[in-house]
Amino acid sequence: MITMNKVSKHYGSFQVLADCTTQVHKGEVIVVCGPSGSGKSTLIKCVNGLEPFQSGEIIVNGVSVGDPKTNLSKLRSTVGMVFQNFELFPHMSIIDNLAIAQTKVLGRTQEQAREKGFKLLDRVGLRAQAEKYPGQLSGGQQQRVAIARALAMDPICMLFDEPTSALDPEMVNEVLDVMTELAQEGMTMMCVTHEMGFAKRVASRVIFMDQGRIVEDDSKEAFFEHARSERAQQFLAKILHH
Amino acid sequence: MHEFDWSSIPNALPFLWEGMKISLNITVSAVIFGIVWGTLLALMRLSPIKPLSWFAAGYVNLFRAIPLVMVLLWFFLIVPHLLESLFGFPRGSDMRLSSAIAGFALFEAAYYSEIIRAGIQSVPKGQMGAASALGMTYGQAMRLVVLPQAFRNMVPLLLTQGIILFQDTSLVYVSALADFFGAAYKVGDRDGRLVELLLFAGAVYFVICFTASRIVRHYQNKLKTA
Repeated sequence: MITMNKVSKHYGSFQVLADCTTQVHKGEVIVVCGPSGSGKSTLIKCVNGLEPFQSGEIIVNGVSVGDPKTNLSKLRSTVGMVFQNFELFPHMSIIDNLAIAQTKVLGRTQEQAREKGFKLLDRVGLRAQAEKYPGQLSGGQQQRVAIARALAMDPICMLFDEPTSALDPEMVNEVLDVMTELAQEGMTMMCVTHEMGFAKRVASRVIFMDQGRIVEDDSKEAFFEHARSERAQQFLAKILHH
Repeated sequence: MHEFDWSSIPNALPFLWEGMKISLNITVSAVIFGIVWGTLLALMRLSPIKPLSWFAAGYVNLFRAIPLVMVLLWFFLIVPHLLESLFGFPRGSDMRLSSAIAGFALFEAAYYSEIIRAGIQSVPKGQMGAASALGMTYGQAMRLVVLPQAFRNMVPLLLTQGIILFQDTSLVYVSALADFFGAAYKVGDRDGRLVELLLFAGAVYFVICFTASRIVRHYQNKLKTA
């Protein structure tokens, strides 16, 4: 479903991504981890073209992201994305947040869009908050709304960019629960996250990045039990034993 | 000691009110056109298309570097002639009001565009990212997500600029247009009561502008707590 081939990106002389190659198959859940500044977020933002890259290619569902002829807006409407800081639209009610792109991008009617929105709010347990504004919700609730907003577009896959790192600790689980459920239903997902418990539960594969390179790309069992690189071993030692 | 005599004011009120209507007309029209044109300028200035960005930057720098009264004179003296020769407008038709509005709107747009540019830049970058990630085009994201938030933050500044514009409308005296200030001057001149009329006009400007800025401040406080 997603193929990356030798994707590279640099700001001036600073190499952000170096020859990143990997594949994500339908129904797979890929957890991308690594130290900060290793290029994880940039990598998944390249998948829907939010970050341009200079060389290599990314094919999403048969469409080349880097091709200037590609209609990026159309491609993005099929790829859901959830951000670290939620990025709900603060001037719209929750239900409008879910409906706006459905009506303006997919051309659904207001009724269809709201109905779909209510259904998804039900699913993330926030139906009662539909008429409130984002500022009135807790961080965990906002992130669940953001997931529902992405799902409202019926995406073929979902990208998560550190969805729990801006949350208070007690709110992390409500978001991870929604993500776990989504994974179990067979959604194709790429998640940048430090939540190793989540990775152990639902990941099909783990990608470990360091200094813009994909250092490990392996099944979760192989990764957690015998990571090959020293850098990944150090990372795991730090993140798992504290 | 000057003996104050306010008696010429009550009879002149209808005439002064006609002047006030012209002042308000110029203010409201120039604010609306100025904000629309200013928004377009701000979008051009932020555009990745270099020639657009250069044009907007040049426009803003030009208009911010020349006195308003000169722009008004240009529009009063030159533009009507241009229109006459280009579009065959009848000679001598009274275009003072429309040329004053055009002059103010084009001048104020330079100031509005800077306010609006700052407003757009004050919206977190992630909002544009989130809108794009949902499949919105750049235009949709601007129109539906970024600009509404930008304007919400900018309302107090835009209104304050509107108050300044209202005061500046008195500069149309250069084109002998009888706005409120011009009307007061004329009455005072006619009746030999210039001091009284100018004091009265000043008081009226003060009351209107002070009240308006109080309202803006009230709105600003409400915005802060929201």
